[in-house]
Amino acid sequence: MNLRYMTKELYYQKRRTLMSIFGLSTGIALLIVLNSLSLAYRQAAHVPLKEIGADITVQRSGDVPKDLAGAVFPCSAVTIRKEEVEKIQKLPGVRGIGTGLLLWVFDPNRAWIVLGIEKENSIGPSLLRSSVTEGRFLEDGKPEALVEQAYARQFGIRLNDAISVADKKFPVVGFVDASRAAKIAIANVYLPLKEAEDLAASSKGLQSVSPYEPGDVNLLFIKADQEKITDLASEMKGILGNKATVATPDSFLKLLGSLFALSDKFTLAASLIAIIIAVLIAFKTMAGNIAERAREIGVLKAVGWTNRNVVYQLMLESVIQCFIAGILGLLIALVASFGLSFMKVNIPIPWEMSPTPHFLPGGGDQIFKTLRLPVHVPWNLAFFAVLLSIIIGGLTGGLLGRHISKIKPSEVLRHE
Amino acid sequence: MSKSTILSGMDLSKKYGDLEVVKGVSLSIDAGEFVCLVGKSGCGKTTLLSLLSGLEKPTRGRVILNGKEINGASEDELALFRRENVGFIFQSFNLIPTLAAWENVALPLFPLKMTNEERHLRAMELLGKMDLGHRIKHLPSALSGGEKQRVAIARALINNPKIIFADEPTGNLDSSTGEAIMGILNKLHRDEGVAILMVTHEVELAKAANRLIRMKDGEVVS
Repeated sequence: MNLRYMTKELYYQKRRTLMSIFGLSTGIALLIVLNSLSLAYRQAAHVPLKEIGADITVQRSGDVPKDLAGAVFPCSAVTIRKEEVEKIQKLPGVRGIGTGLLLWVFDPNRAWIVLGIEKENSIGPSLLRSSVTEGRFLEDGKPEALVEQAYARQFGIRLNDAISVADKKFPVVGFVDASRAAKIAIANVYLPLKEAEDLAASSKGLQSVSPYEPGDVNLLFIKADQEKITDLASEMKGILGNKATVATPDSFLKLLGSLFALSDKFTLAASLIAIIIAVLIAFKTMAGNIAERAREIGVLKAVGWTNRNVVYQLMLESVIQCFIAGILGLLIALVASFGLSFMKVNIPIPWEMSPTPHFLPGGGDQIFKTLRLPVHVPWNLAFFAVLLSIIIGGLTGGLLGRHISKIKPSEVLRHE
Repeated sequence: MSKSTILSGMDLSKKYGDLEVVKGVSLSIDAGEFVCLVGKSGCGKTTLLSLLSGLEKPTRGRVILNGKEINGASEDELALFRRENVGFIFQSFNLIPTLAAWENVALPLFPLKMTNEERHLRAMELLGKMDLGHRIKHLPSALSGGEKQRVAIARALINNPKIIFADEPTGNLDSSTGEAIMGILNKLHRDEGVAILMVTHEVELAKAANRLIRMKDGEVVS
């Protein structure tokens, strides 16, 4: 192999070198962008759950009492027994559980969406601590309430006012900005979990359709090993029965409905097509290039180059061209990914995870989590793409080199 | 075969399908001898040269070059043998268009393990002998026909060959440049003692040779 010869060949044959590089780099860029987009959609699908510190949320649907008075469970979130929670906690792959108790409270003059939350837990709605805009977060053992800021403004609720929820008084100790909080597990009023449990346990209407004991909950937020999420979801359905709603990043991905979000198979197929296009472009350009050089190769062999010398020289040229194409493809993909990262994506929140009763104004509206698509090129994808380019170069150069090196010098040199 | 014989071909034939281009030719060339192979176009001169130089394998017969029978050698063995023993000069020069004059001269040395400086020095020396010391960095496209052929001659000499095969070396040159090239070949043969087998259809040029071999219809006629 001779570097000087290779450099000069690539430099002086600019047109064919550039054609080859641009062709392959387009395929490589396409491959990187497709995979980055797919990855971005996957990451976006994690966001609604990630915001609440979980990988999986679990609810169970059931009935609401005919008479909507006092505290009731939403039809999408009825009792999950304490024993069921313990069984879930013991499943291999579950790293932690946060709990919540969501209630609709129908008082004579007002309807409340109430969420009972744990005070200290890195998983679940206790993350609201960071969304308190005024006042303070709930303190241990005190019957007090946080009110959602917009709701408080609408109904003229002020800090330190006492609000009456299901005939029980709670001083308002702080306001929460729901626009800064997660889109799931939001409410008008947030109470300590124990207070919400008392409201649920003492509600006859609720007990009539969904027997409840303190310690039971109706929302579970689960942190799990990433590779076990899918298996855990089906195991949880096994524990909670067919009325269980288990939300995972995959279920959000399906809701996105985008081609990229539809399946890994699409990305794989599109990537394969991109690679095949890249290989064909590289092969065709280099085949043309090598065919043009048949006489030159005849001269090399006449002056004493062995077949192996010829193959290695052509492989070197091909690998270097494809390496440059890989780097260029990567740069194009980086620029394209940067541009695509300004794209916004709306992730629909399933109706059963929306806390608002559908029969209240605005309750039937679809809720979305809107975010910028987190498109980026991971280093391992970048490395793979460049490595793939080099492999394509090696194989193309090797195959074509082997073919052309069999040429007999006399065949190409005799016809002057 | 005498001790000084550098090349001998015995009963050489070459067939392409049913067409026999070389028919049972036997000849030998002594070390340092300048032999011209003359004949009309299509009489089989270039094919015979290809057989004798190992560029092509005969359908029948044997070739012994520098004491080695080359008929049974593999493609790569032949290439290595050519690299060490043979130089070629072609009618169309066959220089690599992307390489400078000195790099074209050094082309046979590229696969060898040696530094670029060593290759450069050797090529410079030969180009100097060809009065092309001032054209070493020029691409073939910037050289005249005569200069290109002188570069090709320098390339043929880079591996200190025992014999040079020249196929119509003046075919693409005007008469005065052709004479100059013939002068260089004569000088090489006279001063360096290199054997030359030159193919030409111009009998006038062949007068410079020690010996003339005439071919007609694939056979040696005199």
